[in-house]
Amino acid sequence: MQETINAILAKAAAELPTLRSRADFEAAKARYVGPHGEFTALMKQMGAVPKEQRPTMGKLVNEAKAQLQARLDAALARIADAEITAQLGPAIDPTLPSPDAGPGSSHPLTLVREEMCRILRKAGFTVVEGPEVETEYYCFDALNTPADHPARDAQDTFYFPEPARFGNVTKKVPGEKYLLRTHTSSVQIRTMLKGEPPIRIVSPGRVYRRDTSDATHSANFHQIECLYVDKNVTVRDLKALLDYIFAALLGKDTMTRFRPHYFGYTEPSFEVDLSAQHLPKVNKDWIEIGGCGMVDPAVFAGVGYDPKIWSGYAFGMGLERLAMLMYGIDDIRYFYQNDLRFLKQFA
Amino acid sequence: MKLSRNWLRQYVRLYSTTEELQRAITFLGFEVEGVQSTGLPLLQNVVVGEIKTRARHPNADKLSVCTVDVGPAHGGVRTIVCGAHNCDAGNRVPVALPGAVLPGDFKIKSSKIRGEASDGMMCSPDELSLPGGHAGLLILDPAAPVGQPLNEVMPDGDTVFDIEVTPNRPDVLCHLGLARELAAWLKYDVRFPEIKFKGQSKTAPQPDVLKAIRVDAPEDCPLYVGIAVSGVKVGPSPAWMQERLAAVGLRPINNLVDVGNYVMLELGQPLHVFDAKKIAGRSIIVRRATDGEKLLTLDGKERMLNSRMLVIADEAKPLVIAGLMGGHDAGVDPTTTDIVLEAAYFRPQSIRATSRRLGLVSDSSYRFERGVDSHGTSEAARRAIDLILETAGGTVVGPVMKVGDEPRWSREINVTPDYIRAKVGFDITDDEMRDALIGLHLPIKHEHESPAGLEWTVSIPSHRRDLERPIDLVEEVLRIYGTDRVPAAVCAGPALADGDDDPIALFNRRVTEYLVGQHFHEVVNYTLRSHSELATWVSAAAAHELALANPFVDDQSHLRPTLILGILESLKLNQSRGVPAARLFETGRVFMELSGTVHECVAVGFVLCHNPQDRAWLARPEPDFYAVKRHLEVLASAAGIDLAAQELVPVRGAFWGWQEGHSAAAGEMTDGWTARFGLLNLAMVRAAGLEGKVWAGTLALLPQKLAAPAGHRRYQPFSLFPAALRDLALVVDAARHADAVQARLLRAARAATAGGAFAVERVEIFDVYEGAGLPAGKKSLAFALSFRSAERTLTDDEVNAAFAKIQQAVVADGSISIRA
Repeated sequence: MQETINAILAKAAAELPTLRSRADFEAAKARYVGPHGEFTALMKQMGAVPKEQRPTMGKLVNEAKAQLQARLDAALARIADAEITAQLGPAIDPTLPSPDAGPGSSHPLTLVREEMCRILRKAGFTVVEGPEVETEYYCFDALNTPADHPARDAQDTFYFPEPARFGNVTKKVPGEKYLLRTHTSSVQIRTMLKGEPPIRIVSPGRVYRRDTSDATHSANFHQIECLYVDKNVTVRDLKALLDYIFAALLGKDTMTRFRPHYFGYTEPSFEVDLSAQHLPKVNKDWIEIGGCGMVDPAVFAGVGYDPKIWSGYAFGMGLERLAMLMYGIDDIRYFYQNDLRFLKQFA
Repeated sequence: MKLSRNWLRQYVRLYSTTEELQRAITFLGFEVEGVQSTGLPLLQNVVVGEIKTRARHPNADKLSVCTVDVGPAHGGVRTIVCGAHNCDAGNRVPVALPGAVLPGDFKIKSSKIRGEASDGMMCSPDELSLPGGHAGLLILDPAAPVGQPLNEVMPDGDTVFDIEVTPNRPDVLCHLGLARELAAWLKYDVRFPEIKFKGQSKTAPQPDVLKAIRVDAPEDCPLYVGIAVSGVKVGPSPAWMQERLAAVGLRPINNLVDVGNYVMLELGQPLHVFDAKKIAGRSIIVRRATDGEKLLTLDGKERMLNSRMLVIADEAKPLVIAGLMGGHDAGVDPTTTDIVLEAAYFRPQSIRATSRRLGLVSDSSYRFERGVDSHGTSEAARRAIDLILETAGGTVVGPVMKVGDEPRWSREINVTPDYIRAKVGFDITDDEMRDALIGLHLPIKHEHESPAGLEWTVSIPSHRRDLERPIDLVEEVLRIYGTDRVPAAVCAGPALADGDDDPIALFNRRVTEYLVGQHFHEVVNYTLRSHSELATWVSAAAAHELALANPFVDDQSHLRPTLILGILESLKLNQSRGVPAARLFETGRVFMELSGTVHECVAVGFVLCHNPQDRAWLARPEPDFYAVKRHLEVLASAAGIDLAAQELVPVRGAFWGWQEGHSAAAGEMTDGWTARFGLLNLAMVRAAGLEGKVWAGTLALLPQKLAAPAGHRRYQPFSLFPAALRDLALVVDAARHADAVQARLLRAARAATAGGAFAVERVEIFDVYEGAGLPAGKKSLAFALSFRSAERTLTDDEVNAAFAKIQQAVVADGSISIRA
């Protein structure tokens, strides 16, 4: 019996390490310890062993069984390991680049616009939108720009031919012409005609000028404008808003100043300069950034607000100009060429 | 508009430096676009000195130690260390005394140079901003008095400011105008030029010089003044006049023409000088031109006139286009001896219309169209007569002929200082305000107590027509107070509870966030596209209805009906520059036809490009229609549209550049939105010069589609019991759309479970097969059906029963069979 045990163990020791698959293992296991297995058969012979030899033999068999089980367990663990290794495949080279598309990017004009809207939102301004195709009333008349004002000339403003019909741009005055808005101020008029003060809005959007395209001019560009209408709004409030916006946008070292100017729809009117030490082309200089002023009483009267009760301010600036200043971009056309080497720099 | 400091100094004391003046002009509200200085700038503490002795510096070979006499007023003889080669005894040189500030903000102090005290600096031309370099000292005239300020012995320099005059301030389009403003800022008086000619002539009318003036169009010419001068001698104008004109960019011509220009630039009134002998019949007639009348103007161009244009004519022909430009043959020439000077007031609108019509802008029309002060017209004429008599001789003959009159002028504005303070939002004292107004020549006529407190009645002069209301005076006070002195404050205001950002802004934000997250790059393209592009990619009809009346350039003549054209251009640019670009998108407005009119729509569009040129070390699957479809679904959901619930139609034909059989459309503009997506027409993409396959998607919406409120969401309870699953493969015609089969199956499943204890939860397609094992022209669609009860676990029997009913129902019409 001793020899039989040794023979089985020797066979198992030789065979089990060579097994490669779980199926082979199960077959082999059955051959040893299955119902018809060699070792099972051996165990069954125990009944025939003389009683006085049983303790010795029993001990021998139990030891052999444990040994066999250990070999089986080791073989199974080895196969399971091999399976995982096969599943994993060869080790990766972590230094290879991902072949998937790289991160997307928002356009710098979007980034600047959204940042401004976010800053203004904290000051209580909500975004309003208006049509880019406008009529003379909303773009000029309501903003106190008389009919023969040079800004309205076909030399500077894009118009549509007489039969043009726009289904969702309403005309206020019969017979007035459609045009591409020259500023987002038309949205102020639409907003004021629609609701009652107090009003606190920001209108970002695309505007059009009939102009040569060069490094600083573009046939269409973007503006962002704020309008605040309430009781007792003052020049000082307007200055406070601008100081807040630019400190929030460009940092605490940013300063703004007003220069008197003229716009038909504000009185008094100012141009706004800013200075910010850390900006690429600004340093200690004052750079013009936008126009602003107190809403002209004539504009209020035109939209049916009593100028004796209501007062307000408006501020507007070009988004491209602001983005160029912030990022140190020297040619406005880059915004519209969309070279990915440009676009990816701002995301 | 160019203005010379020397010229301005005729009317106001200007001791300020160029920088100070530039600042003053800026804060008065006139942007300084350029500053050009010539000659010696204004310098304090720079005087004439005489070098008395020169000795070598004990510690430096190249330096000298000089004693320099700067006159008793400046401390007599000083020791100055100098590095110039020509600091020889006897030379008179400019000496900058301690305290002087030389150009470039170079401050002079007493100091020690290599151990030797130096009490000032002797200057080279360069250090004084003069031509002549920095090699040696500027050697002055030996007669220059020692101790005299350098400015007094050197020829005057000048500084020319190029300023932007806003359209509301035509009164500043002349030197006196800006001088008035500077005087208010600097708190000095204005010195008006003295006018000797009082309008009386000593001689009788001389009809052989000027017989009559007739104004036939008084509505366009309310005032016309003509003065005849006889016996003038044409020649060059005096040097001082030529210098001033040249400084501001005008070419001196002759004394008569120069006087006209000089007075225009001094007082703002354009003038005209006629050669009397060229006036047929010696009569001036101000009339409308006749249609088709022609005039050869001074610039050598023949101008075609019409009956809305005003001309100054004689009995035979037009001589001048009123307020714009003189005729080539009517001006003064070297032989002129008798002249007629014209000073008139023309209606701005008339001049503007003619100027625009003729495409002709002159210094004269520029001023007339912005508004000349008619109350200064006669005065300007008399000023010009003074200068003509002074520079060209002659005598005034006959009376001053004046036709029409200055329009009546009287304007007063009542304003309270409290009103001004309330508008600016900070304290400015009554006295400061009063001084500001008076300084601007806006006298306070009365000052009285009103119910609103102290009130002023401010008198407005005729040249300040821009001031009409109390608010206009707020700006005047603030200008003089200094707009840079508005005090800081905290930005505060009530919170406004009137809703969120505009739905368009929210939509753009949502889709941008999604697409950027999906590795797309946002591009921004022009709204205006070319006619040929629209005709190619869209339709001839679209090209027609989207056209501008007055495009600026040919390739930007039409509104865009789709974002795809711009995005393709961006793609092409990147490809041509060798920059790999696969995913681009844009948001923005597009313009689409709906029931016969154009509608402005909100839109988002993207492209997904598979360029075989772009290589990768590890291959990834190409994008396909279904990738695009998923993106579109997400974009549509940002607008509240469930694309999966919409009917999708294949795009057919060359419609909008989509590839037939590989693209789809959903929604109609009548529903307020439309989507198109799939593969762009391969041939067109290739013709456009692009590489590879371009997949694209667009969604356009009427703004009101976004404005619809989203509605409140309510929680739907869901079952906690397990689902029972069954798979079913159906064989149908290969051309049949999957969604139709799926809908059929879903209907059958709902019918089979209707009213029962459980319901069909999902019917999802999981396999599409065509090929071996199936009849030709057929395909198999495999669906996974899932059933679930809200109350219990389902038994096999009940599910099998329902499944059998479903199979029976779905094959009922014979177009569908169960795949064995």
